[in-house]
Amino acid sequence: MLGGTLRVRGGAIIAPLIAAAVLFAASAAYAQKPIVVGASISETGPLAVDAAYHLKGIQVGVADANAHGGWLGRKLELKYYDDQSNPGTGVRLYTRLITEDKVDLLVGPYSSGISQAVAPLLNKYERATPMPGASLPAIFQAPNKWTFQLLPPATGYAEGMLPMTKAMGAHTVAILQAQLSFTLACGQARLAQAKALGMPVVYSTTYAMPPPDFSSIALAIKNANPDAVVVCSYYPDAVGLAQALHRIGYAPRFLAETIGPAEAQFGSAIGPIANRIISNTSWWPSLKTHGNAAFIARYKAMFHEEPDYHAAGTYAAMQVLGAAVKATKSLDQTKLRDWLATHEVETVQGTFKSDPNGLSLKFGQYMFQIQGDKRVLIWPTALAQAKPQVPYTGK
Amino acid sequence: MIVLQLVVNGVLLGGTYILLAQGLNLVFGVMGIVNLAHGAIITLAGLFTYWFATQTHQSPLLLIPAVFIAMLAIGAVLQRLLLEPLAKLGGKGELLNLMVTFGLSYVIVETALNFFGSQYVSLPDLQTTWPVGGLAFNEALVAAGAFGALISGCLHIWLHYTASGQALLATSQNPTGAVTCGIDVRRMRGIAFALGTALAATAGVLLILILPLSAPTADTLTILSFVIVALGGLGDYRGAVMAALLLGLVQSAVGYYLGGDVEVVVPYLLLITFMVVRPQGLGQATR
Amino acid sequence: MNLDARQLGQWIERRLSAAPASAAVPGRRPVTVVILVALIACAGAVPLLTSAYVMQLATDILTFAALAYSWNIISGCAGYLSFGQVSFFGIGAYATSVLVLRSGLPWYLAAPIASAFSGVVAALLGTVMLRLRGIMFALGMLGLARILVVVASDWDYIGAAGGLTLPAQLTPVAVYVAMWVTVIAAFALNYFVLQSGWGLSVTGVRDDEVAASAIGVPTARIKTVAFIMSALAPAAVGGLVAWNRSFLDPPSAFDPTLDLQVIVFALFGGIGTLWGPALGTVILVLVGEQFWAYLPDLQLALYGVLVIAVVLAFPGGIVGIANRFGWLRRRPVLAPAAFPVVSRPPHPAPPGNEIIIEVRDLTVRFGGLVALNGVSLAVRRGEMVSIIGANGAGKTTLFNAITGFVKPSAGGVFYQGKSVSDIPSYERARQGIARTFQIPRLMDSITVWENTLLAARYGKRADAAVDQAAWALHTVKLDGLWLEPTTKLSPGQQRRLEMARALALDPTVILLDEVMAGMTRNEQDEIRAVLRHFREFGVAAVAGVEHVISAIADISDRMIVLDRGGKIAEGVPEAVLRDPLVIESYLGKVS
Repeated sequence: MLGGTLRVRGGAIIAPLIAAAVLFAASAAYAQKPIVVGASISETGPLAVDAAYHLKGIQVGVADANAHGGWLGRKLELKYYDDQSNPGTGVRLYTRLITEDKVDLLVGPYSSGISQAVAPLLNKYERATPMPGASLPAIFQAPNKWTFQLLPPATGYAEGMLPMTKAMGAHTVAILQAQLSFTLACGQARLAQAKALGMPVVYSTTYAMPPPDFSSIALAIKNANPDAVVVCSYYPDAVGLAQALHRIGYAPRFLAETIGPAEAQFGSAIGPIANRIISNTSWWPSLKTHGNAAFIARYKAMFHEEPDYHAAGTYAAMQVLGAAVKATKSLDQTKLRDWLATHEVETVQGTFKSDPNGLSLKFGQYMFQIQGDKRVLIWPTALAQAKPQVPYTGK
Repeated sequence: MIVLQLVVNGVLLGGTYILLAQGLNLVFGVMGIVNLAHGAIITLAGLFTYWFATQTHQSPLLLIPAVFIAMLAIGAVLQRLLLEPLAKLGGKGELLNLMVTFGLSYVIVETALNFFGSQYVSLPDLQTTWPVGGLAFNEALVAAGAFGALISGCLHIWLHYTASGQALLATSQNPTGAVTCGIDVRRMRGIAFALGTALAATAGVLLILILPLSAPTADTLTILSFVIVALGGLGDYRGAVMAALLLGLVQSAVGYYLGGDVEVVVPYLLLITFMVVRPQGLGQATR
Repeated sequence: MNLDARQLGQWIERRLSAAPASAAVPGRRPVTVVILVALIACAGAVPLLTSAYVMQLATDILTFAALAYSWNIISGCAGYLSFGQVSFFGIGAYATSVLVLRSGLPWYLAAPIASAFSGVVAALLGTVMLRLRGIMFALGMLGLARILVVVASDWDYIGAAGGLTLPAQLTPVAVYVAMWVTVIAAFALNYFVLQSGWGLSVTGVRDDEVAASAIGVPTARIKTVAFIMSALAPAAVGGLVAWNRSFLDPPSAFDPTLDLQVIVFALFGGIGTLWGPALGTVILVLVGEQFWAYLPDLQLALYGVLVIAVVLAFPGGIVGIANRFGWLRRRPVLAPAAFPVVSRPPHPAPPGNEIIIEVRDLTVRFGGLVALNGVSLAVRRGEMVSIIGANGAGKTTLFNAITGFVKPSAGGVFYQGKSVSDIPSYERARQGIARTFQIPRLMDSITVWENTLLAARYGKRADAAVDQAAWALHTVKLDGLWLEPTTKLSPGQQRRLEMARALALDPTVILLDEVMAGMTRNEQDEIRAVLRHFREFGVAAVAGVEHVISAIADISDRMIVLDRGGKIAEGVPEAVLRDPLVIESYLGKVS
């Protein structure tokens, strides 16, 4: 009555690829049962847009593995359900994947919120799981020790901003944070960093989500007149604050917003005032990371669009999972966990290395800037595609 | 100068609020029901405007007349199909009215999610900022405020100086009396809801120039509009104008002096305080 | 219970004979209850025997059912529609977490303590929030939830916006079982509110708050208690959910969509009914799973369509539909198998002629309008006084001031020699000032019997209240209609029921507001017959406001005439009715 009604999707896209892979590398191994990888994906609800990339990254990872003969000589199969952007549903679906479907391996969901809800469950069932949708460090603390962060921690968001602007002569800063766990972790880290760098924080505030009218905050920033403004933001507040600064006719020398400027529609949403806004990303197409070019090529071939950092994150999760399975030659969860907790893996997103509870230690954040209709990498300097353009003009 | 700019910001914000609330206010005034789909209609119109502007590269303002007329018709149909059957229940229908408009808001928001996705969108039109004597005036905010004032002005003239408007006003003040005066109250309810819907949609067209909107924004807008309507004295359109300006000014000051997290709860704090202290609202009308 | 076998046998016979003689006498036979309990127990055991997924789904259903039942108390039973009951879910979640984390209490102690704490918070909040009505209360509660999010986000002790990580210590079975306990407790509270004498007061508050206080219901206290009751289970559920998820942050603790879902479930099942919340939750969660499985993009939109369709087609929800077939009907509270034999002994009021009710220089102003201007009058023991006057003379305002529904601008009201100006209307009713209303204000969702019983309850044991109610109904000759809903009564019968309610209070004085209006000649005669004998009922005095002068002239001892807020005449009916001033006031100047 209750079971058997859920529809498993995803087969449609992967089936032809698997068929191709079978022809390509027909071997006895494929007679074996496939390794089933399970996940819940926010196909509907507020997270659906970003979660679509999340899913595509996993799909590219699965196709990639199958094109290279699978893992342990077995092909891979993906099984996923729609969690509707709802943490409660996510918990139910991971329970189902583990206890009903008995999948072999799991990949974490999109967003810190759902990951946070799911992590204790993965811990309870002792499933070694890469979490490519969770930047929040709190998830990767005791007692959780079965989940592994596949993103730079939230504390690393915009970490390059202050050293970079200081080197370019900025002195005072304003730091704003949306009142959500992830953005607050970022904001606290930036406040501490400003202190360490000796940059006076002339204005700081938190704001509740959904975002308020930003005109008063913009006015307060104008009044404090900092050299650099760092906003630990999500998308709507990134738009709202940039607009509010413009509306009172003020532009700080540097403006950085953590989430928002990376989204494709950011430029069209606010027009020319997006120009020269700085932001951060955990992945960039031009990086010479492990397998990046192959990842981009396969992604484009499969979906006829450019990948984004969400897709890179889940692809990296598949790379890490594959490395662990191959190294331990098993699907034993304890062996996988112990291996993941102690080894480094090169991925498209940089070097995976975690502490004993799964917190990411080596993934870094890169800074980019919107320059005209392009986004270019500007930090770290060694990898920069162009020099930062200053000042931000707000028009 | 800061204080002056805060006042300017507050008044401009209040102007936007007038625009948001007047449609809901009209529906409440005449029909005595709170349209919980109000924010959904605003949001849907905003998302539609975004889609129109990005597809055709035309000014979103061109849409205002078309949206207004289309939503008049849609509003009339919705009222006839969904709300009129409940009107005969009188006071007992209040809960059911809330439920129907609540269901309607779900339908609109979820349909909008499927059509337009869940991303926040906004349009960069009318973004010029005019510096006047050291103060900044933004084109979009001024336009929204002016439009809100225009709507309130038109409502005032219509309600007080035309026969149909006076009939509507009479219905809102005393439905039973209106019936005895030969006013077709059923038609008045239809007109009020159609007009309320059209005003909400028009607000949506302008709002997309001011705020990033996405389908889930709908609830926030409904609540904000309701707070203004309630502060204004439920159905009192002049009270709503005062309430919108008061809320704009208070939020502006609170945001500056106390920060963005307190600013967000200002509407609720004002609502609860006012409801307990002065339940008849800011306006003069006693209903 | 100390019953011997014979009494037990009688009791069972009585219960069995309570089976419906007509459709209006619904009875739930013990057998049905046993079957029901067995069915629920079996359903409850299924998840324990199948997979963890089914268990998780069942736990979700229980979670929603507990929340729906709690919401049902304040919004369904008491009529205060709340869009913010999630506040108590969040408060409970935080209280439980803090207790476990900081005090080291085990969760099975922490959750009940959090629940009690939430009740205390509700008591405090209720004093402010319950002054709001209708949509104001609904959205005020919603605003409260939003305010709490911001407060929780800023409060470091409870983890602020970063949230609290909680050690996983609950097994799914423990959560499941605890959730069952919570649901059963919430159900029991609903049962109490819907099926007990005390619960009638809650229904009274919902149906007509003014009428309820006029028959002695302390409405402010009743709704606060209902509010507290509706805050208990959500807090326990909040604690359990937080511990089950091992994580708690402000947006998940005060998630408004949780409330909206709960409201939809209760509405679908039937608001204010005993089985509605459970049926609505079970069916909609399972239907939702189907929508979700086949049309995931449209699931929530279909929910919306469903809500609209249910409201327009079946406003009573599933239980409303079932009622049409005679299923799941509410049992009238404390209704014996047949109309009780009236055994109340007559207790005539003691003799004497002291003043019972007196008003001195009573002035009532509404804004600029003076409704009553310095009126003084007195009603003595044994008297039947009629107060007449044209429309707008201030008669009803006078009664409203005496019974405490209108605050006098000046002057005082005295009852048996003591000022009652400072006591609330329900207390005046309890002390013996009964009244009827110009337009009958009856509780529409309960029977004639329960309307009367509600008035008879104060200060009595259940059996005495039953006797009193039966006597009152018998006196106004409504025994034959005792189990009908009030909506089926004719206007004259409605007025008689108002009389019965007033008599059920066992009053010292009755204030009748236009009791004869809209009655047939026969009905008027019946009421007149009752009024002639009021002294035998223990009623000391009657004051009536009346338009139908002919119907009362011969039974009144004295008449008082009001005109435009002032007293213009007083005396025996014959004299007063010949007074030229009175004639002028009624008929206009006769030239």
